[in-house]
Amino acid sequence: MNRQIRQLALGLMACYVVLFAALNYWQVGRKQELDARFDNTRRVLREFNRPRGPIVTADGVVAAISFPTAPGEPYDYRRVYPTGDVLADLTGYYTFAFGSTQVERLYGDVLSGSTTEQQIRGLGDLLSGGSGTTGTVELAVRNDAQEVAKFLLGGRSGSVTVIEPDTGAIRAMYSNPTYDPNTFVNADFDVAQQTITDLQNAEGNPLLAQAYQERYMPGSTFKVITTGIALEAGVQPTEVFPNEREWVPPQTDDPIQNYNGSLCGGDFATVFARSCNIPFAKLATLLGPEAMVTGTEAWGIGEELPIDLPRPAASTFGNTTNLDQELPLLAIRGFGQSEVQMVPLHMAMVAATIANGGQMMKPYAVQATYDQAGRVLDRTTPEAWKTPVSPATAEIERQFMIGVAERGTASCCIGLDGAIPVAAKTGTAQLGDPANPGLSHAWIIAFAPADDPRYAVSVVLTDVQSTADVAVTGGRLAGPIAKGMLDFLLTGAGSQPLVADAPAPEAAPATSTPGAGG
Amino acid sequence: MTDLTTLDLDREVQVDSPLARRRRSTELSLVVMAALITGAAYTITALGTNAEVPPGIGFFVAILLGLLLCAHVVIRLVARGADGTLLPLAALLHGIGFVMITRLDDELAGLQATWSLVAIGSFVATLLIVQRASDLARYSWLFFFGGAFLLLLPLAPGLGANINGARIWVSLGAINFQPGEFAKIALAIFFASYLADRRELIAASTWKVGPLHLPEPRYIAPIILAWGFAVVVMVFQKDLGSSLLFFTLFVVMMWVATERVGYLLLGIVLFGAAAYLSWTQFSHVQTRVDIWLDPWDDPLDRGYQIIQSLYGLADGGLTGTGLGRGNPGQVPEAQNDFIFSAIGEEWGLIGASAVLMAFILIVGAGLRIALRTDRTFEKLLAVGLTTIVGVQGFIIIGGVIKVVPLTGITLPFVSYGGSSLVANYVLLALLIRLSDASARRLGELPDDPTPSERWKAWRLSRRLRRDQRAVGA
Repeated sequence: MNRQIRQLALGLMACYVVLFAALNYWQVGRKQELDARFDNTRRVLREFNRPRGPIVTADGVVAAISFPTAPGEPYDYRRVYPTGDVLADLTGYYTFAFGSTQVERLYGDVLSGSTTEQQIRGLGDLLSGGSGTTGTVELAVRNDAQEVAKFLLGGRSGSVTVIEPDTGAIRAMYSNPTYDPNTFVNADFDVAQQTITDLQNAEGNPLLAQAYQERYMPGSTFKVITTGIALEAGVQPTEVFPNEREWVPPQTDDPIQNYNGSLCGGDFATVFARSCNIPFAKLATLLGPEAMVTGTEAWGIGEELPIDLPRPAASTFGNTTNLDQELPLLAIRGFGQSEVQMVPLHMAMVAATIANGGQMMKPYAVQATYDQAGRVLDRTTPEAWKTPVSPATAEIERQFMIGVAERGTASCCIGLDGAIPVAAKTGTAQLGDPANPGLSHAWIIAFAPADDPRYAVSVVLTDVQSTADVAVTGGRLAGPIAKGMLDFLLTGAGSQPLVADAPAPEAAPATSTPGAGG
Repeated sequence: MTDLTTLDLDREVQVDSPLARRRRSTELSLVVMAALITGAAYTITALGTNAEVPPGIGFFVAILLGLLLCAHVVIRLVARGADGTLLPLAALLHGIGFVMITRLDDELAGLQATWSLVAIGSFVATLLIVQRASDLARYSWLFFFGGAFLLLLPLAPGLGANINGARIWVSLGAINFQPGEFAKIALAIFFASYLADRRELIAASTWKVGPLHLPEPRYIAPIILAWGFAVVVMVFQKDLGSSLLFFTLFVVMMWVATERVGYLLLGIVLFGAAAYLSWTQFSHVQTRVDIWLDPWDDPLDRGYQIIQSLYGLADGGLTGTGLGRGNPGQVPEAQNDFIFSAIGEEWGLIGASAVLMAFILIVGAGLRIALRTDRTFEKLLAVGLTTIVGVQGFIIIGGVIKVVPLTGITLPFVSYGGSSLVANYVLLALLIRLSDASARRLGELPDDPTPSERWKAWRLSRRLRRDQRAVGA
């Protein structure tokens, strides 16, 4: 019988070896495939039943926070956005069935505490009685500035972006139309699905942060770039342009006109301040396709903006193949019409580049992340992105833009409180929509104080009608918004220094204690 | 058995045996280790789920250790020559299972704790009651009828209960139990004793049917009856897992007893035929097979459980999601039949392999007992009991990882369930008793009389003295 018993031992052993092999097959061999299956909810579920840290603004306001739910609810935590639609473009949303966006998406690991560093620190804290590893994300954006931006836009479509020229820190970035994540993040599946579908189909794409995820025809604000390219190419700031009403570019018979067919000319500073079109059309033609394309590339046009948020848009100079056969188009693009499209944030960066002596900083929306005990995990270090113009060129353009604010197209509307000097450039992009000939984008980019720039701002109103004097439409409509933002930040309630740059450890909002940090 | 009249009653029981002492100290350190592993896993799981150290951890480890030490001390007293790895292995599996059940359902954990107490109690009681393995053989027909009775019990109207589609439960007031868990031990004892007595007769195969040589019907009939009865009853109870287990148990024991591989082949053929027949006849068998072949054919209903099990395993990967950090609750019945996939999810391939390893080691220890003993009954009983644990583990683990069609059955020592736990500890106690018996016969330790034998011997000697006095007077 012993032989049979030994054979039985071998047989049973073989059975368990088969089990071990099968276990390897499922847990290692087909892991990735099974993990990725659409009906596999493990990963999301795990996330949803874990606490998640808050998102706070630079001025200490909680923009997103998780509360434990009552027993019996499908998930252990509920995500709440106390600031509603004010910061939705930055926080994004965090849903079970419909994914997540913006900071909620990009910083999901930090918020849920699953980065390696947090895990290691969490282990150490367990011994000293701490609990959890959830992280906190601190935005560079200020809630108060967002509120002001929202108020100044007053419901009109468009966006307001404020950045610091020397760091790239985004202090405000608000766009209309927007949405309130609270309307669907905790709703039942059906309600949430309906709400999200409606938002996706709504006009103006409210779910997008238009300020960095959309691009618009920039109109005359683009002349800052054309001027920069021209000056870098050796065109003298003393250049004088003849007074003329229209000019026929090469390869066509159709003349290019100034706004309203007006007579416009003078020295470089004057044509810049008055925003004549013909001088910039001529400059673009003179520089030629190659110089214009490489010049715009030096400003980052054609590249996705290097922002620390998901899916940024890229500005574009339009189709550049065979541009040497299309010189009239090149001429028109020289003053920001035709196929040129700029991301609003990018235009703020253009203003900031002039303010920062020719260096364009990488924009960032998150300035720091903290672990559950309030210790810094990571603090954003400002980084340069591009250096499109020399300090000398930047200085010339700064003077040009001061001229725009003092006696040019923005002089009506940008004068700041306390006589703080300001530099600006306006733009009115006529979309040429046959059904709606007046439809325009009204732009302004500005920075202040002009002699020691602290903030650069871009404002675009995307759904306006040009007034009789097209040249000043941008200044008149967008100017007051830029003025309002700069006044608030330089002399108004927003001029006070922020309480603390970093939250003290005990003040760091913890997800497990409802209401903390509010 | 010791000849009672020659017993030297003045000699004390404890005669030094280095081998037995070494086995017991191995057992002690392994049992403590199993308790510590369980305590650590319990703590880590609580940390993983709530990020806090469980409040009663000290108490928990103390109780756990107390229970296991109690079992250990009883082995020291009444089975000190037994294999030292069986109890620690069972304790480890039991501990892992308990941690998983606590993590899945607090309420069940309380019940399981009570059952653990009862199980260790039954373990001790079995060791104390069954002091000579050969005693079991004497009551083989009692075990036969007892086993049959237990199997039929759930079919009794008013007593049986239908839970999750299988009528294998008996409800007595607040207590539900599965008599089938105990029936399998009873029938294993019967098979072992019956085959030990008649194995030569059966193996002789003097009955010729055409070209086939078959055993005399009158020798084979009772065993066929027992087996057929068990299988048929369980088919009526829709308990496929147990049917398969009984079938395997029977075939393996026949094969080992007769030393004829033909029975193994015949068993496989018969199994194939029976499987095919039930597949054509029973829709629930068809369902099981369909799910096994392609669970994604009906992912939200019939295939849901197995798919969730596989997703859990995949999510666990090599190292697991971490104790308390997975979502094993996604798998329906995770605390029961699917507890292995819950372990695979949170403990990963590494933890799940440890469970497989523990089963292999139990099987190894059990079959070693069968090899070491020189008595046919004990050999066959050890084979039967080991086969029950080994095959049951294979059937259910294979079921949840899609190696074989899923048949509802508990994972010994690990799954939630009082009857299963108690029955498996009784089974363990029997294996330990067999192991101790063989060690004594091999002379590894003196074959001391058991307490009941000393009691009998004392009475006998008293009577002898009285008779001598009477004669002398």
